[in-house]
Amino acid sequence: MATLSLKDVRKSYGSVQVLHGIDIELEDGGFLVLLGPSGCGKSTLLNIIAGLDETSSGDIVIGGRSVSNLPPKDRNIAMVFQSYALYPTMSVERNIGFGLEMRGTSVDRRREAVARAADMLQVTHLLDRKPANLSGGQRQRVAMGRAIVRDPDLFLFDEPLSNLDAKLRVEMRTEIKRLHERLGTSIVYVTHDQIEAMTLATKVAVMKGGYIQQLADPRTIYERPANMFVAGFIGSPAMNFLRGRLGRGKSGWQFMAKDICLNLGRSKEKLEEQEVILGVRPEEFKVVHHDIAAAFHGKIDVVEPTGPDTMLTSLIGGQSVIARVGPRFAGRYGDDVSFTVDPTSVNLFDPQTKLRITW
Amino acid sequence: MRRVSMTSNSRRHPFSSLGEISETRYWVYLLLLPSLLLLFLVVAYPTIYGFVISVREMRLTRPGLNGWVGMKHYISMMSDRVFWISLKNTAIWVAAAVMIEMTLGFIAAVALNRNLPGTRLFGVLILLPYFLPNVVAGHMWALLLDPRLGVINDILVRLGFLSSYKAWFADPNTALAATILVEAWHGFPFFALLFLAGLKGIPEDLYKAAAVDGAGSFTKFKLITVPMLKTVITAAVILRVISLVNSPDLLLVLTGGGPGNSTQVLSLYAFQTAYRDFNFGYAGALSVVMFFILMVFATIYIRLSRITKE
Repeated sequence: MATLSLKDVRKSYGSVQVLHGIDIELEDGGFLVLLGPSGCGKSTLLNIIAGLDETSSGDIVIGGRSVSNLPPKDRNIAMVFQSYALYPTMSVERNIGFGLEMRGTSVDRRREAVARAADMLQVTHLLDRKPANLSGGQRQRVAMGRAIVRDPDLFLFDEPLSNLDAKLRVEMRTEIKRLHERLGTSIVYVTHDQIEAMTLATKVAVMKGGYIQQLADPRTIYERPANMFVAGFIGSPAMNFLRGRLGRGKSGWQFMAKDICLNLGRSKEKLEEQEVILGVRPEEFKVVHHDIAAAFHGKIDVVEPTGPDTMLTSLIGGQSVIARVGPRFAGRYGDDVSFTVDPTSVNLFDPQTKLRITW
Repeated sequence: MRRVSMTSNSRRHPFSSLGEISETRYWVYLLLLPSLLLLFLVVAYPTIYGFVISVREMRLTRPGLNGWVGMKHYISMMSDRVFWISLKNTAIWVAAAVMIEMTLGFIAAVALNRNLPGTRLFGVLILLPYFLPNVVAGHMWALLLDPRLGVINDILVRLGFLSSYKAWFADPNTALAATILVEAWHGFPFFALLFLAGLKGIPEDLYKAAAVDGAGSFTKFKLITVPMLKTVITAAVILRVISLVNSPDLLLVLTGGGPGNSTQVLSLYAFQTAYRDFNFGYAGALSVVMFFILMVFATIYIRLSRITKE
């Protein structure tokens, strides 16, 4: 168990800079998820933490010890790869114990440690098999077994669930969370799946273009995204962005656009009158019937029931909006629809800088 | 019900009986028949003909003797000194050439797999020897190693390794070794190419995982590279051994089997027996022996590499 700190980590390949001064602090026992679209530099950053790739500048400190100049094997980390990277010619048992074997652990202690890890991951009955004879989920478990058997300071996961089918992915996600709670080891986890980030992380670093866009706990990332990229990347369906104007009304600040007039409340003195973009999560829209006081008035465009809830696409003053409404919603195409929104749940963004306006 | 209606249709449509066959399991064999026939014509017939020749006398110089002789050629082969020398030389020639080619090919493949700047050009350069026909390569090396004009002799003398020019192919002590080196030069790109393809197929993650686990370069090589290349190695060795055993062309150009049979190999011996002595029966018997040696070799080799895999 250990803390991790990245201090101004930079990386370039030739003249192409792929990481621009990454600063991250992860507490002992924390679960850091590096989240971003492909090509954002998250896997490079993970490889750099592992020592599989060198930094161009900056420092990596694991458990108070600078490891920037150490080879991977001396960093006391364990890694789980997207492709699992099991050694095809070795049995499951040797695969799991290979790290210990390389470190000269005695056969007896190795066997004991492998048995314990195998038991924890329920792969004891597979120990004699070769990786080729395992299913995807079993390989995933073995790859995790190989990581936990060494009891490292830090686990690194590189998109470990991307090669699994949807059902198995959910199962293994739970498994990873359980493992983390049980072992308490710090984890750095790379993914492009925001659900994984939300469910697993204690801290999420949303990355794009080699920059960290926001580093915060999942709740904050979801509710108070630092900019429009983070706001649009997290959440499915994505946050609605509505163009409009911020103005002063009778009861305080108001967001105004065609068919929209949302009171933001009184005590927001930091704002100024300007063009803004209003960000509203789909689940924040509440359908109201014939309420003149409702903030949003539009027409239903598409109704998509998904089972637990219904996705309702409406046109409000020419802007398309997706709302997540109850499963028994009865409207249909062309009907008038009105919504209210809790003003404390919305975010305002500057249309020029795309940054969130704090208030 | 459907079956009944189909048979009633068959009287009207000429192809509907074909349609019925296409529903049965015999359809597969019917579709395979044309290619089977072709294979028989170009593969099976010549092979069988070779076997038939080997139990006949067939001398163009003495047509009166022609006819069935049974195992005569095989029996006289047992007491044929040149056959045994050729067999020994074939073994040495093939084993040594394959070893050298495999080593060079592997080094070249690893170097090319690094993706350093210039490796693409280097890749083409490395393949050049393989593009040359054996006969051209043979003549080229004959000139390079020529006892009077050879540039290699000149270089070795100037560097002080030799006191005077050496006739590499005329000395029974150096002839076989010299031809093996020429063959290795000519053949190593074959291994380089196949190994390179094999190396490209090894997932990078395996090496990363091994690095995290603490494996050094040698361990990575032994536990990842070699096992992952095993199939490629097996296939390459079999293909190369077959082509080496069967091709007399380089030796024909460089030494003609001499001096004094010191570079005589089975393929060349069979070739000369057929086209110099016009003794096709005996040459056929030699070829049949080569055929079986190769078959036994391939079987044992494949089996061995499977056993070590488990």
